[in-house]
Amino acid sequence: MSRLNEVFKKLYKIGLVVTFAYFLLFLFYDIHNLDNNRKRYLSAHYISEGVQETGAINLVASVLYDYRAFDTLGEATMILTAATVLAFLVPISKATTFGTTFKSIVKQTVKLILPYLAVLGTYLILFGHVSPGGGFVGGVVLSIIAILLTITYSVEFSEYIVKPDQKKLVEDIGAIGFVLLGLLGVFTGSNFLANGQAYFGTGNAGEVFSAGLIPFINVMIGLKVGAGLAIIFNSLIKEK
Amino acid sequence: MINIVFYLLLLFLIITAFFMVFTKDLSNSVITLPLFGAILVIIFVILQAPGVALAGAIMTAGLTTAFFVITINKTEY
Amino acid sequence: MEIAYVAVIILFCLGIYTIITKKNLIKIVFGVTIVESSLILLLMLVGYKPDGTAPILDKEYEIVVDPIPQALALTTVVIGGSVTAVMLVMVIKIHRRYRTLNIDEIRKLRG
Repeated sequence: MSRLNEVFKKLYKIGLVVTFAYFLLFLFYDIHNLDNNRKRYLSAHYISEGVQETGAINLVASVLYDYRAFDTLGEATMILTAATVLAFLVPISKATTFGTTFKSIVKQTVKLILPYLAVLGTYLILFGHVSPGGGFVGGVVLSIIAILLTITYSVEFSEYIVKPDQKKLVEDIGAIGFVLLGLLGVFTGSNFLANGQAYFGTGNAGEVFSAGLIPFINVMIGLKVGAGLAIIFNSLIKEK
Repeated sequence: MINIVFYLLLLFLIITAFFMVFTKDLSNSVITLPLFGAILVIIFVILQAPGVALAGAIMTAGLTTAFFVITINKTEY
Repeated sequence: MEIAYVAVIILFCLGIYTIITKKNLIKIVFGVTIVESSLILLLMLVGYKPDGTAPILDKEYEIVVDPIPQALALTTVVIGGSVTAVMLVMVIKIHRRYRTLNIDEIRKLRG
């Protein structure tokens, strides 16, 4: 009898999920039937006026760091919260290492790769407003340097090269620098985190030194994301 | 032509997701996760989203898999 | 492109099914990852226009895909990775306390 009960429970759950899928089908049918051009005033405005107003030819960067920069501040706070929670949960204990040690081929290869990773991350951050990329992606690439050091050598060596206090300091510099760059807009008589409206000199669109505050905000986001992910990974390794 | 490739990639995406969920061994499903992320990245490139494709290639196919591998290493002994 | 919405629905429901039926905690985190991926795919599909170009306007253009869903999805990817890390640390903590990952036995131990 209990076996029949189990089968009934499983069929009940499958039926729930299938019913849910059936209702989602109607919902998405309505989403797809939205008139593609008539109801999107905001997107049309960004596409037609975005390059002149912000000076960045990558429209994703101009939405993230100029029009909707306040939301980006909140999303960057999420990573700070995650790193803080992990550093709070994991006690300061002796680090545990993996079971195997690598041969010298892996170590030499990693040593060869690291400078190219640093160049790639810096390129992605600095050219974030003229090409795909930006602070979030470049920061993740920069954090991979510390993560590769941790995996191939050990936690002790990685924390000897980049100290934990230095990582926390870099993350705090990123967080505070973002807010200070936002206050720059208030001092010139405009809104918080204003860039295009505050007349910072957007320059010629398409060059590296253009688009006002957007490259500096990219650098701050990159520092913050890179240091935060490195802290998260090292905390995960240290938990035994 | 690009439509046929797009639908084939969607089919592969669903097959890898089902394999990831319904396989018995946990290490099998961990190894399928970067495959899932890589197929998702190609779909993003076809849908004209290069920035999201870069982020997905690094995060979903790279770092998240490392997180799962470390968790399995620390919980199964 | 209409069949792609059906794929999104299948992936989303597969993730929900994984969350509510599987017993292993790590499998549940896999389900959360699948749900995240399907939502990012939905955002991309909403912003796509046929024959559009990517939103980087350095040449002549006629139709440009919608940049707002891409900006939302770019942050969602990175935030989702860090949230997954937090969940996995919780899993390691639970395993260290109860010595098991089966969710039924953890419920039994609580009494």
